[in-house]
Amino acid sequence: MKRFLVAAGALLLASSGAAHAASAVNLDSEPRTLIVTEGGSKSELALAAGETVEFCPNGCFVTMPNGDREALTGSETVEISGGVARIK
Amino acid sequence: MFASAARHVAIMLILLAAALVMPASAQDVVRAPSGVIADQQEVIASLTAKIDGLERKLDQGKEDDASLVDVRLQLEQLSRELLHSGVAFRPRLTEINARLEQLGKPPAEGQPPEAAVVTSERQSLSDEKAEINAVLGVAENQSIRINKLIDKITEMRRDLFQNLLTKRYNINFALVFEVIDTFEAEMGDFYRTVGSWLRFVVSFKLNSMLAATFFALAAAAVIIIGGRRLFGRLFEPDARVQDPSYLSRLSVAFWSTLMQTTAVIVFLGVTYFLYDYFGVLRGDIGAMLSSLFYVIAVVFFVSRLGTAVLSPRLPNWRLIPVESRAARWLMLLIIATAFFTGLDYFLSSVYRVLGSPITLTVGEALVLTVIIGVLVILIGMVHPFIGEDGRPKPWPRLLRYLLYFLGGTTIVAALLGYIGLARFVSQQIVITGTILSTMYLGFLSSQAINEDDAFAKTTVGRRIQRYFKIDDITLDQLGLASSIFINLMVLVIGVPLILFQWGFKPGDMTTWLYKIAAGFQIGSITFSPVGILSGILVFAIGYFLTRWFQGWLDGSVMARGKVDAGVRNSIRTAVGYAGLALAGLIAISAAGLDLSNLALVAGALSLGIGFGLQNVVSNFVSGLILLAERPFKVGDWIVAGAVSGTVKKISVRATEIETFQRQSVILPNSELINSAVGNWTHRNKLGRIDIKVGVAYGSDVKRAHELMLDIARSHPMVLKNPEPFVLFVNFGPAALEFEVRFFLADVLASNNVQNDIRFAILETFAREHIDIPSTPRAQEPKPADKWPVDDEQVEAQVAEEEEARDKRAAEAASRRKPGRSKKADPE
Repeated sequence: MKRFLVAAGALLLASSGAAHAASAVNLDSEPRTLIVTEGGSKSELALAAGETVEFCPNGCFVTMPNGDREALTGSETVEISGGVARIK
Repeated sequence: MFASAARHVAIMLILLAAALVMPASAQDVVRAPSGVIADQQEVIASLTAKIDGLERKLDQGKEDDASLVDVRLQLEQLSRELLHSGVAFRPRLTEINARLEQLGKPPAEGQPPEAAVVTSERQSLSDEKAEINAVLGVAENQSIRINKLIDKITEMRRDLFQNLLTKRYNINFALVFEVIDTFEAEMGDFYRTVGSWLRFVVSFKLNSMLAATFFALAAAAVIIIGGRRLFGRLFEPDARVQDPSYLSRLSVAFWSTLMQTTAVIVFLGVTYFLYDYFGVLRGDIGAMLSSLFYVIAVVFFVSRLGTAVLSPRLPNWRLIPVESRAARWLMLLIIATAFFTGLDYFLSSVYRVLGSPITLTVGEALVLTVIIGVLVILIGMVHPFIGEDGRPKPWPRLLRYLLYFLGGTTIVAALLGYIGLARFVSQQIVITGTILSTMYLGFLSSQAINEDDAFAKTTVGRRIQRYFKIDDITLDQLGLASSIFINLMVLVIGVPLILFQWGFKPGDMTTWLYKIAAGFQIGSITFSPVGILSGILVFAIGYFLTRWFQGWLDGSVMARGKVDAGVRNSIRTAVGYAGLALAGLIAISAAGLDLSNLALVAGALSLGIGFGLQNVVSNFVSGLILLAERPFKVGDWIVAGAVSGTVKKISVRATEIETFQRQSVILPNSELINSAVGNWTHRNKLGRIDIKVGVAYGSDVKRAHELMLDIARSHPMVLKNPEPFVLFVNFGPAALEFEVRFFLADVLASNNVQNDIRFAILETFAREHIDIPSTPRAQEPKPADKWPVDDEQVEAQVAEEEEARDKRAAEAASRRKPGRSKKADPE
């Protein structure tokens, strides 16, 4: 039984890869807004102080609070501190 | 590694192409941009050019469905490339930002001015950043444009499909003659085309054609023969078997259909491929031949499936219990339907290749679709079953009406001139019907396998059992698993096939798959099925790794290291729980759930846990303490409250104790921690046994004392140190009471020693005439039979019995002395 399970598990593992969204963290004490362009529309993503938000699972363009633009593939973490965004 | 290298190469190639194609690009900036900006500007410009091209193609509006899907796939690819080109700026942007931060803000008014170098560097960095932002803005706009175009394509395809179904052709008598005329002309055309091709083949390509056909036949033969060798009897129905089981009927149906159809498909596919490869085919012939092969494959599959399910010759092997005559009829009708649908498909592709006038297509499709509609209605009118009264019974009402409806729709649509609709319906009847019935067979077989022991009786099951040496229960579970697997496979294969038939293209389905894999969002948590699956998988792997590690640590390392059994058990249990917890945490994060969210939930729940799960938690913590402190270990003889016995297993919540009567007592750990626990075998198994002995008053007490001490000393199991001791306990009411006290190395073996010593004392005392008094007990007189006064029924019964006895006695008496008068028996 175990052998079957192990073999099946190995097969499944080989065929699957986990998908994750990008996430944004606002480390400031005031709300910040990101402008996210995803799937043909621009939308504003408001982040309250200290909030973490998952967004953009398939890649998107983001305009940061200080006007910087970035392209995200959907696996990054954006940290906002002092109005400036850093990508990790 | 390879991917990134490939990407670089691709970017270089695109750059090169862009440089050649567009010497003067629209993004002609004032200052020549350096490095990455220039590169990416070029890339984005070339991507924009491609998007422009695709948009122009769309605007011409001459696309059919397949090419629209193709355009959409290209657009999606472009969108991904745009994103990558945007990401390429990131290293530079990070550099610029870091440097800007180092330089600091420009000095405010009133502060001493900074060096000119700093100001100019900041200025140039800001300029570069602005440029990057501008390029990214362009990319962003293009990505919006791509998405708008994709939406447009979706709309165009919907319109196209609607058009196909609702377009009406004028049908009148003039059409008939026109069709006959054009049909003759086109057939002549067709004949000439095929004839010239054949002449060409015979004179130039005969050898390669024969070789290709031979190889294709060989490939098909390999499948047929290999399948026969591999699956043996599963392949064909055995006429001698009187009553084959449902599962064997199913497997024969499934395998015979699958193997033969695969062989035919392989033959056709290989033939086509090799013809194409050797240059035997010309463009027009290739298109016609491929549609012909497609039709042959479908008709063959339908007929094989029909034969397998209906089995007109062997009633025993029929999957659906229809009557033999009806089975033959159904076979004929089904194959005819498939044939005419295929003919329609083939002819329409021939007309397309030959560029025939539309009237011919309309006329031919009109005739064929009406025929197909009639056939479908005829199928609905067959009475396949035998009712309870012995007369033929029609299909179930719903199915019958569905068939009438489909056939009627086809005929009416065709006669009204909606040829596209009629054709669509008739094709769907054959293809979707075939797929649905195959799926239904799959579900049936999974049900059949799911039954008790069914899997063990299959050939595959027997082989697995022999090869892996597994027991029946595991095999049964394997059967359950394989039935679930079959269900899944049926859905995974069947549903896309049906969608494919209904006009969805592979591109649509891959898009859906991407979406499903990416997951959906609820609040701030993203759920993705792939993520959850991989979480479960990671947990399973973690679980098995933990078990394996546990076994290795326990069996190899600690057993070899002569570690104490209790420590071994503690370490094993602790490792097991730690591993499980770790696997769980990794699995949760692999599933895409944020652990910090979980902490929030745990915080909110802790109050509830505090109240509701108080006992469980306290037992859990107690279990951990037991593992660490080890007041007893597995195999110890402990006494906890009223329970006394051997410890069998220490789990985290409860401890299993087996009493000496072999009763398993599950004792919550908190009780073992909170109250006193006696352990006979804590540090060692040393234990004292006391045996009470009474000696009669007037005996030689000194002698008795000596004898008892000797007996205790002389027993081999009794320890010399501490020495055995005989205590004169009390002047009892009936005897002088002694206690023989001695120590044993293993208190668990005390029963035999106690027996030995008691027997020895009894024997020695008897020999030495020392009495062991026993308290005399008063002899209670046996109670006499009482007249049951309190129960009327018993009373009546007794009276009856007495009467019967009297009667019997009287009869006996009268037999013995017939002459004498009746007299009661003296007894």
